Amino acid sequence: MSSDLSFNNVSKRYIVRHEVEDDLTKHPWIRKINALRKRRDEFWALRDVNFAVERGETVGIIGHNGAGKSTILKLLANITAPTSGEIVINGRLSALIEVGSGFHPELTGRENIFLNGAILGMGRREIAEKLESIAEFAGVKAFLDVPVKRFSSGMYVRLGFSIASHLDPDILLLDEVLAVGDAAFQEKCLQRIEGLRRAGTTIVFISHDLAAVERICDRVILMRRGEVAATGKPREIISLYQQQIEPSRLNTMKTAMEDDRAVIQSLAFYTPSGLRPSVFHTGDPLVARIDYVAHEEIKDAVFDVFVRTGDLTELCQLTTTTSGSPINLPVGPGTLEFHCEELGLLPGMYHANVCVKERTASEAINWQYHAATLRVDPGRIVRGQFYQSNRWKLLRSSHSATPPNGVSEAERPAGTRRPSLTPTS
Amino acid sequence: MALSEADLVAATIGREGPRRTKVIRPVAFSFRDLWAGLLGLSAYSDLLVVLSAHRLKVRYKQSMLGIAWAVIQPLALMIIYTLVFSVFTRIKTPGVPYPVFAYAALLPWTFFSTSLTNATNGLVSHAQLVTKVYFPREILPISYIVAALVDLLIASIVMTGLMVYYHVGLTPQVLWLVPVTLVMAAFTTSCSLIFSAMQVRVRDIGMAMPLVLQLWMFASPVVYPLRQVPERLRDYYLLNPMVGIIENFRAALLGNPLDVHSLTISIVVSVVLLPLSYLYFKRVEATVADVI
Repeated sequence: MSSDLSFNNVSKRYIVRHEVEDDLTKHPWIRKINALRKRRDEFWALRDVNFAVERGETVGIIGHNGAGKSTILKLLANITAPTSGEIVINGRLSALIEVGSGFHPELTGRENIFLNGAILGMGRREIAEKLESIAEFAGVKAFLDVPVKRFSSGMYVRLGFSIASHLDPDILLLDEVLAVGDAAFQEKCLQRIEGLRRAGTTIVFISHDLAAVERICDRVILMRRGEVAATGKPREIISLYQQQIEPSRLNTMKTAMEDDRAVIQSLAFYTPSGLRPSVFHTGDPLVARIDYVAHEEIKDAVFDVFVRTGDLTELCQLTTTTSGSPINLPVGPGTLEFHCEELGLLPGMYHANVCVKERTASEAINWQYHAATLRVDPGRIVRGQFYQSNRWKLLRSSHSATPPNGVSEAERPAGTRRPSLTPTS
Repeated sequence: MALSEADLVAATIGREGPRRTKVIRPVAFSFRDLWAGLLGLSAYSDLLVVLSAHRLKVRYKQSMLGIAWAVIQPLALMIIYTLVFSVFTRIKTPGVPYPVFAYAALLPWTFFSTSLTNATNGLVSHAQLVTKVYFPREILPISYIVAALVDLLIASIVMTGLMVYYHVGLTPQVLWLVPVTLVMAAFTTSCSLIFSAMQVRVRDIGMAMPLVLQLWMFASPVVYPLRQVPERLRDYYLLNPMVGIIENFRAALLGNPLDVHSLTISIVVSVVLLPLSYLYFKRVEATVADVI
């Protein structure tokens, strides 16, 4: 028996109580009494879920909101009990969660470390041994005897995470915690997780961050409406999940803006050398290629690509509207490419819509929603909202304001940080 | 190449030793699981210690009088009751001056009421924690009781002062304080477990608590002796387990004979109630995060 963790026919039901509609014409006392008869609805957050995680394995759990991810997390962490079924956990399990909420503002950093460590299940001796390392990792060593109410919010969060990450469990539960702190701290966290992984810790990673899931996990479980929809290799399951998102969106968004004069057949992202990687990095060059077929001749056509986030915020547009000479499409297939020298998007998953229209027309000839997915991993930027392509040079500082000739130039692209956590499977 | 953080972590963690297997099942906390619950509690004994110390520390941080507050409360009550029941109206307390008589009962009563007031809100006030981390939840209310026990010890120092001042000597009877305090702690724990679990669903419990405690105090022999309770009401009166606890706590302290009848009732109630209240608490605990 080598599985560290197993769910056997686990179901979880929540009772949802609805307030009875408040009738303001009634007397307040009568309304009070009516309010007691709340409607009860059942909601099955999980239904007959079965899976097992082997020792030393890193398993990701993905799915939409409400698919049952956080319920699984809560059940594993023993925060709530299942309605039926059985969960077997073999070894010491800890959830790596941000527990800054357990801090008491009046107590010092040191006192809070002891308090929080104990809450997470560490013994006093164990905490005393790790105190140094915890403070070091959080970067609050000089402030151990300061009440945490004087801490900056960053220190607060880092300390909370640092305590949790010193648990050394057999099985580690990871929530969306990697979004804690600044980039440098996140990097440290990833390193720490990688260390635990190499030491043979079984990891369950529950996240929306598909890029991180693919990077860390050996296997991925896809949840759908409280059931296990699929299990398998990260890449396969993630692409299955993406397909699952897309048709539903396509249906809801498709409008009548179509005629047959021209059809966009595909949109795809390439490197300038013609490769089609699954991931781009912020700051990478990128080529967006549109393949279309024109069934009639179209005068002064305009192509647009809109890049959106998962929650449908429009982030940027590639367009021929404002640049170049007019495009006249002859009958037949054709290809149009947008060349971007440096990708400005931050790490994340994006979707692209594409359309072709006549400049003068109000309606498009052809729209394709979610024509392509674009995955961006960390590249040339650590903080901010977008990557501003730039170069830098060092000017020797001098009192004279004009440094034109005696200047040594060191010109190179800015910030070349790459994530050092690589899949080891 | 320098070792990375990941290498260091990988190198320092041992993966030896036996593993405990834990099985999580639906809520069905029965008498058989009582033992498992207690084992789980003992595994977290360090948390109980740290959390109880935390209660004391937090209470007195940024307060000028600090730990003196443990004394001020029963002392102030004692002065008020002395004025009311010994100066304005006379209550007969044979053999002992009224201040000593009242303070000897206010010690256990303050313990009980402080514990209950704090513990009732123990779960609700830690909702943030309860929905994020697992630990045996009973530690939350119990930590308030442990803290109140420390307060009781501190407040006892004043008791010694009073006894010296009024020339009331200690007798070997004082050893009875240990079992009486144990019974009191058991009964307080039972009440705290029940009320803190109920408070999760029905917040009225916490609202009613000050009033209930006020009434409860006058239904217990704190400001008057047990023997002043009319004979015909005595049987009902004795159903209150705090009667036996308070009366005998005072008797042990002041060297009077114990009231065995009322003490027996208190013991029986506590012994029966403690496991029942624990079972009830554990049952609520399983889904407390969904409701809180």
